[in-house]
Amino acid sequence: MNEAPENVRLIGGEMLLWSDMSNMAGITDWRGTASELIGRMVPDSGRVLLVGPHPQALVDDVVERAPSAAMLLRSYPDACALAERHPELEVFCGRLEAFAAPEPYELVLALDGLLRTHSAEAPAAAWNESLGALADLVAPGGRLVLGVRNDLGVDRFMEARPADRDGGDDQWAPHGFDPSYPSGPGVLDSALEAAGLTVQRCYAAYPGRQAPRALLAREALAFDLPDALTFTLSARGGDRMLVADPLRLTRLVFRHRLGEELAPQWLVVATRPPWRARMVELPLGLVEQDSAVHELTHAGLRRLPDGEERPIPAGRVVEEILVEACAREDVRMVRELLTGLAAWVEAGGEPSAATDGLVYDGERFAALGPGPRPSTPPDPRIALCRILWRFAVRLLAAGHHHPWPWPLEADQLTLTLCGMAGRPCDPGDLDLARKLDAELGHPAELAEQAPTYRDLLGARDRLADQLTLALARISRLETKLSYRERELVRAKAKLRRSQRKATAYRRTLGYRLSRRLARPRKVARKVIRLLSG
Amino acid sequence: MDESNHWYGHSRILGRYCGLPDEAPKRIQGFLQHGWNYLHGFPPNDHWCSPGYPRFIWSDVLRRRGWSMGRRGHYLIGAPWIYLLYMEPELGVVPERNGTIWYPFHGWEKYSVIGDHARLADEIRNVETDPVTVCLYWLEFANPDIRRAYESRGFRVICHGERGSRWEVKGRDFLRKQLVQLRRHRRVASNRLGSALFYGASVGCDVAVYGDPMQFEDERPEYGGTARRMRLWPELHGTRVDPELAAETARRELGFEYQATPEELRRMFGWKRLREGAPPPGGGTRRPVKAAGALRGVRS
Repeated sequence: MNEAPENVRLIGGEMLLWSDMSNMAGITDWRGTASELIGRMVPDSGRVLLVGPHPQALVDDVVERAPSAAMLLRSYPDACALAERHPELEVFCGRLEAFAAPEPYELVLALDGLLRTHSAEAPAAAWNESLGALADLVAPGGRLVLGVRNDLGVDRFMEARPADRDGGDDQWAPHGFDPSYPSGPGVLDSALEAAGLTVQRCYAAYPGRQAPRALLAREALAFDLPDALTFTLSARGGDRMLVADPLRLTRLVFRHRLGEELAPQWLVVATRPPWRARMVELPLGLVEQDSAVHELTHAGLRRLPDGEERPIPAGRVVEEILVEACAREDVRMVRELLTGLAAWVEAGGEPSAATDGLVYDGERFAALGPGPRPSTPPDPRIALCRILWRFAVRLLAAGHHHPWPWPLEADQLTLTLCGMAGRPCDPGDLDLARKLDAELGHPAELAEQAPTYRDLLGARDRLADQLTLALARISRLETKLSYRERELVRAKAKLRRSQRKATAYRRTLGYRLSRRLARPRKVARKVIRLLSG
Repeated sequence: MDESNHWYGHSRILGRYCGLPDEAPKRIQGFLQHGWNYLHGFPPNDHWCSPGYPRFIWSDVLRRRGWSMGRRGHYLIGAPWIYLLYMEPELGVVPERNGTIWYPFHGWEKYSVIGDHARLADEIRNVETDPVTVCLYWLEFANPDIRRAYESRGFRVICHGERGSRWEVKGRDFLRKQLVQLRRHRRVASNRLGSALFYGASVGCDVAVYGDPMQFEDERPEYGGTARRMRLWPELHGTRVDPELAAETARRELGFEYQATPEELRRMFGWKRLREGAPPPGGGTRRPVKAAGALRGVRS
């Protein structure tokens, strides 16, 4: 074992040959929203403690802001690496229950939760015991920020192969059997109260536990949040096999107002009494959009740090309106909506918009956010063609039902949709539209995405249906072909008969005589015509 | 595709709407609903409508009913009539409309109707006060007895002609002739709800449905008979019918709101591909097939 840096203190339970940072996929990648929230809570004077592994950027941020910071990690290599990076940081290495803090902390951050505060060196403590140990570290009037993964989060029940049952090296005591682990927001509140803390805010983190981009407070989720806000809160988990499309399930979660109960993760901010008068008010929600953090207010969204507050556009997401119309084969609705959309694009609508980034309130279209700007403003016809091509790709990729009988590929469907909008395009326009889409980035469909189980079943059923229809068509065409062949044979026989009759007629004396008589006259007529010019 | 697509000049009207040359109409890849119908747009024995081809129908209720009866592949475009009206807003318009045009329920080439035309003619004479034009289907028009039944009561008897076929000139201008007549008359009447009545209501005729509805030789029970028509549209039966209500019903039944764009029709009917020489419909993807994406892209 190498010499540990001076600022590392081993407290017992340290894991010498283990790193939590080597498996970054397991650690929540807290970014802008969490940094913003924590930034508002770091005290001007007082001590801050980080418990468990956190993303490097977040640690750097906290160390820079806090007057005095400490960290508790179970992994010895991680502790040493961190201590070298931040020589002024006090790093404790070991398990949480063995940590006897010299004095409590003003702010305790455990965004990764409690599961990685356990060590293989000792039997894993129950969740509420760990919470008790953590709560003891919070000074009176201080705050605890705790991340808790939801075992019934929307991202969990659509996993085809749950990650916590794959027998990885970190599963010496697999998660999921601890009866004290919170089974919902209510139980989480009670557990914190039992540990002597009062919940100040409980946030639901979306879209997934890997990389949350939005924190929505319980108070905000109690309202019917606009589609423009919730539509973007779903994520597809890379190469992991899923049971169903996350987008559709997440939409249902919000429609049923179960945003808090089924959140992938909760982030709870609790205080230890007594309540301090000068304690900063926490935001209703923080949302990361277009690489900027926005604060959710009662009136809308405010771009941080000092942007204007703007209302969130009302209405339904255009893609959802279209998918619904397709499901009901309501081509009239599609025609009307696309015609309206074309008029909006021609009137100077957002050139980088797409049906999955637009809402429509029955009168007006509004883009969910300013997208990337193309280098030159596109022709409205090409911009519309791009929007429709993108929709066609997404519609077919998701396997939604639609009424169009022929175009089985996105390109043909796009040209039909352009026609329905009253703005016919040709394949040349479509090429330009695809180029525009590539320039804007954000591809319509990620090619490397693993299909979901429902997608596969749906695709198989559609193929079977398609085969049945194709066979029916072949059978019809065969019948028609046989009929046409019979007709052809009949016509040929008739032609032969006529030809034979004509030959016989040409041999008759009368015919030959009339030809002989007619020929000299014809020659004479030709000569006269030539002479007369 | 099917002969019925070309009846009454339907394919010709749609071809003109799509900007195709006015020669022999092109084959429509699918089945066009050729008359007003209160089942699913096609007769009950529609086995000739092969699965795998779209059914171009007039109104959404037919689609819903058809779906519930196991039919798929409906595509709503409204009646060819609405395309004719779109292209001919002035055809046959006269300063003052006059008289009633009366369409007795007709049989067709395979089935005739059973009913007493003389009794019906008497009833018409008792109800109508203005001059009456009786329009017969060509089969009935060719029958001197039936013609006499109406002519003897002082009615003018006309015929819009045969419904024609793809290759014949006959029937090409059927709907145009009908439009001219309807715009000339103030009122349209029949003994059954039917296409002609809705066509008339759509161009501003008053509407009346009265008299013996007559019967097909073997009328299919799937339609539900006259009793069902009376239940579905009680307000349209009688010698005097609210004209606004009739016009509104006509708009719905003829699918005025479903008028498709020319480009859309060209693509749906398979006319675009014919012109461009592209692969036949349903001919699969042109790009190389990629496993998952392609699978998900496929649709029936």
